[in-house]
Amino acid sequence: MIRIYRALLLAQLQVAAQYRLSMFLYLLFSIMRPVIFLAAWSAVAIARGGSVGGFTPADFAAYYVILTVVGHLVAAWNQYDFEFQVRMGQISPRLVRPLHPIHYAIAENMIWKSFTIVGIVPVLAIIIVTYGVQFRFEPWQIALFVPSLVLAAALQFFMSWCIATTAFWTTRTHAVSTLFDRTAFIFAGQIAPLSLLPGVLQQIAYVLPFGYIYGVPTDILRGGHDLPTSIVLIAGQTIWVVVAFVASRIVWSYGVRAYTAVGA
Amino acid sequence: MVSEPVVEVQGLRKTFKVHEREAGLGATIRGVFRRRFKDVHAVAGISFRIDRGEVVGFLGPNGAGKTTTLKMLSGLLNPSSGEARVLGFVPWDRESAYLRRMTLLIGNRSQLQWDIPAADSLLVLKEIYGLGADKYRATLGQLTELLGLAEILHKPVRNLSLGERMKVEFAAGLIQSPEVAFLDEPTIGLDVSMQARIRQFVAEYNRRTGATILLTSHYMDDVVALCKRVLVIHHGRLLYDGALSGLAERLAPYKRLVATLRDGQASGFDFASFGEVASNEDGKVTLHVPREVAPERTAALVRALGDRIEDISVEDPPIEDVIDKVFTAGAEVVS
Repeated sequence: MIRIYRALLLAQLQVAAQYRLSMFLYLLFSIMRPVIFLAAWSAVAIARGGSVGGFTPADFAAYYVILTVVGHLVAAWNQYDFEFQVRMGQISPRLVRPLHPIHYAIAENMIWKSFTIVGIVPVLAIIIVTYGVQFRFEPWQIALFVPSLVLAAALQFFMSWCIATTAFWTTRTHAVSTLFDRTAFIFAGQIAPLSLLPGVLQQIAYVLPFGYIYGVPTDILRGGHDLPTSIVLIAGQTIWVVVAFVASRIVWSYGVRAYTAVGA
Repeated sequence: MVSEPVVEVQGLRKTFKVHEREAGLGATIRGVFRRRFKDVHAVAGISFRIDRGEVVGFLGPNGAGKTTTLKMLSGLLNPSSGEARVLGFVPWDRESAYLRRMTLLIGNRSQLQWDIPAADSLLVLKEIYGLGADKYRATLGQLTELLGLAEILHKPVRNLSLGERMKVEFAAGLIQSPEVAFLDEPTIGLDVSMQARIRQFVAEYNRRTGATILLTSHYMDDVVALCKRVLVIHHGRLLYDGALSGLAERLAPYKRLVATLRDGQASGFDFASFGEVASNEDGKVTLHVPREVAPERTAALVRALGDRIEDISVEDPPIEDVIDKVFTAGAEVVS
């Protein structure tokens, strides 16, 4: 499998290298949203005498800088790619190869994210300097952030794969993807740090999987939780990863049987 | 000793549920609330077997069920009922051991990454199939020689012509040296000389490797060049399973004689005395003439029309017409 991945990653790297413009635009889009929220929350903090819920503008900047990196590293776009492949019949050749199509998606995901992270760094550096952000990470925060980030990426990937696989039935997954994105927008810690969400919304956010993708790893690194809470949250992430993995296996096994390979 | 068949199909069926609605706004709105579905029997219970090393042509008009059958045999589709075994495997279980030993090639559909050269996609396939360096080099060398790939392997696939792309698609489909190949319209859209090259390649590949090949094509030339045996399918049912020679005599006992008149006027001439008039429009007359008398009738027609004739051609009828004609005439299933 290592040799297969080496070959898949190399092929994807060659593809990625050819699409510099689309990568630049994608980057711009992924940075724009956190920057807008940072500007808005900073303005509110200043208007309220320097902080909101304990967050100063520099704290917001630290949060959104980390969230941008996390958001980038956990991103998955299977639902968009897969729908196209099913609709155009491009998935068929992969279904008759002795390698599960998910491995192509994993390789593509890894390459595009590693390739584009480089472009984010200068923008984040400007924010860090502008807001005077100072990061003070405890060693345990870094030690827990790494597995938390990996779990978040896995959770996002398997959830995205589940939605993608519904294309076997619906051919168009766009509505489901949009619902997913909008819900994530509210409950994942993008619109505001999870600790700033009003009571009930915060409780919902810690039950739903979205916060475990963005907010949880961000808060662990930022020092938003103490050690025991961080460990409990990582356990929550693990449970959601298992649920998403099992669900993706089940949806796939039914979906592939329902596949009609029309026009393929 | 009787050898095990490579492909064995028994009562295979595939029924699709197709959403159906009438045209117009009212029907569109009704369709949002209540959907009507219709069963389409793409494959309606077919049985056949293919032995090792055979090259079998699978013929039939569009929508006959050829591609659906191929997709079931390659494991891409689950059947509605019936059984099939290929190399001893149930195809739609999609066991890795089966997928390693077969290939499905669909003409006009790309399985290669468009943005990178085929050579790089082939390296990925080498690892997926776990081919050793020597085996890979030997197979690629053989395919390069047979298909003339040397010039095109290192160009991005999107920059290749259709014919060149089909050649590298063949390389991608056969790099694992499959024992069974399902080829669906492999020459579709290609020019005549490229069709001929692909045909030569398939024949040579079969001769060298002993692979079993089931091939669909709309081009009778493909089938004549490659297949001793044909299966004819129409509306999901098997009409004929036997020697190609028998098919030509049985299903196409006539030739099409197409005469174009210089003045565009075909009236006042007794074409019916030369053959059955299939069409007569704008000075272009198509006659169906019994195969055995086609040369004499053509010569006689040219003599009779004299300098009124602008062009004349004699050709085999399109396979779709022939099969359709035989089917509507009530042909029986022949095994």
